Formats: sequence, C-alpha cells, structure tokens
Amino acid sequence: MNLATRKLTQILIAALLCFSALRGHGQDAKLQLANLDKLSEKAARVTDVTLDGSLLQFAVNLIEKVDAEDKDVEQLKSIIKNLKGIYVKSFEFDAASQYSKGDIDAIRSQLTSPRWTKIVQSIEKRRNEYNEIYVLKNGDKVGGVVILVAEARELTVVNLVGEVPMDKVASLERHLAPGEKHSDKPKQKKESGHDQE
Amino acid sequence: MHFSEDDLREALKRKDPGEGFINQVMARVNQSASENEPALTKPEKKTNGSFMAWWMHRPAWAMAVAAVLLLAFGIGGYQYSEYRHREDIRIAHENQQRLEEAERARDQAIMALEIARAKMNHVLQHAQLQAEPNEKIRRQRL
Repeated sequence: MNLATRKLTQILIAALLCFSALRGHGQDAKLQLANLDKLSEKAARVTDVTLDGSLLQFAVNLIEKVDAEDKDVEQLKSIIKNLKGIYVKSFEFDAASQYSKGDIDAIRSQLTSPRWTKIVQSIEKRRNEYNEIYVLKNGDKVGGVVILVAEARELTVVNLVGEVPMDKVASLERHLAPGEKHSDKPKQKKESGHDQE
Repeated sequence: MHFSEDDLREALKRKDPGEGFINQVMARVNQSASENEPALTKPEKKTNGSFMAWWMHRPAWAMAVAAVLLLAFGIGGYQYSEYRHREDIRIAHENQQRLEEAERARDQAIMALEIARAKMNHVLQHAQLQAEPNEKIRRQRL
C-alpha cells in the first residue's frame, strides 16, 4: 500500500466516523419507550403521542399559519419550530403499583450517558413518587429534554427532541389550542387525545 | 395428299373481297374503338378525382364516417372530462386528508406540549417544596 492510498483510507475512515457520530448526535435525544406499551392494558387512561419527521412538520406548518397576534401562539411557535420530535407516554392507573421499578429503570438506563444531565429530581418515598427532569446538552444549547413522573398511580414520560427552550415550555399558557382560544376546551382536548382507555 | 403447282397457284391467286368489305372493316374498327372507350376513361377519372371528390360521390359514407368521428370525439371528450373530474376529486380528497392529518398532528403537538408544561411545573413545584425548610408547611402544601 503506497502513501497516497494509506492517506485516502485514513480520510475515508475519519469521514465515516464523523458521519456516524453526527448521526448518533441527532438520534440519542430520542428514548426507546416501547417497553412501556405493555402498561396500556393496565392503565385507566393512556396518552401516547409520537410526533416526528413529516408529521411534526405538518403540525409546525399549520401552527405557523395561525395569526401571530396572540402571545401564546407566538410562544408556541417559538417552541415548536426547533423541535425534531415530541414523544409522550402517560399512563394513569386506578390502583397503585401497576408498573414495576424495572419499567422506570429501562428509561433511566438510557439517560446514563454523560451528555444527559439530571437537572431536577424530587423523591417522595412515602408516597412512592419519583420525579425527574433530564436535559441533553449540545454545547450551549439544549438538544433534548426528558421529564419522568413516576407516582403511585401515574407514570408519565415526556421526551422532547431538538432545541427545547425550557423556560418557554414551563411558562406556556394552559389554553394553547389555536382554534379554541376563547373556549374552555383544553381539558376536553387533552382527554380526547387519550388514545386508549 | 398431293398438290400440283397449278392447284397452289389457283388457291393463292388474288380474289376480289366484294363491295361491302371496306364498310365491314370500318364498322369493326369503330365497334372496337367504342368498346375500348370506358377502359380508357377510367384511369382518367382516377387521376382527376381527388380524395374529396371520392367522398363527394359517396355522401352516405361521408356522413357515416363523420358520425363515427363525432361520436369518437364526443366519447373521448366525455371520458377525459370524467377523468379530470375524478382527478380533481382525488386531489381534493388527498388535500383534505393531509389537512386533517396536519390538524391532528397540531392538536397532538399542542397536547404534548401542554403535558410537558404541566409535568415540568409539577416536578419543579415538588422539588421546590422539598427544598422548603419548614417541614410543616411542606407537608401542608403536598
């Protein structure tokens, strides 16, 4: 192997490594939540939202079309425009202890990478409540957020992928639905989104 | 059989054809000329008669072909307009489906962000309360 061929091979390997690193960089903010699907049978109320790719783009386009006079809609636009994926799995149970510690550990094990940082943790052992917020850092920016709420009768995992403005999410108004701003429907909307009961 | 020279001379000597011979020959010539006349005029017709002339001499055929052509164009046009109509409906249906899909996606996104907001505030509130030094107040709030 002459010098030129060796150099070329090294460049190719470096490019491949960079490519795979970049691929991983974009994907590792998304958690694998499929292990929670089995809880649907036990839950009294299930909320399952999976929005990414073209579907999320549809939603973004539609939200962007709404007149931006309203402050809430403007805030919603600024949050959603940089998101690459929204994944929510929420289970509400009639009885306590319907999910196992293993179910939560399967989620936590995906957050052990040094790029994930646990920014908030609240544990109430007497009530069997474990609430945590994790953030994936991409340099100075937030590349993903995981909110884990594990209570006696509820298990919720929210996974936002992409640039998430945490402050804006936390300060969102309750009545977000653009078409239903003047009605008191957000609660109804939330319930109607529950896929299975 | 034997022929003598005199017999042959007698047989081949000039004879008078008679008075009406010339008239008969001329009559035959005229007759054959009139028989050949249609054969001579036919190609003349072919060369002179154009495509249109052929149709002009056959109006029934012309009408039939025109009717068939009209029918064919009519059916073709109808089929095309039906196809366009079906296509328009299909495109409108697809657009409607896409819009409904987008609206569903929007509602889901809003719902997901609403849950994210609620849970984030819930966790933050719990964490804040846990940091509360006064155990009594903390328990009350919980």
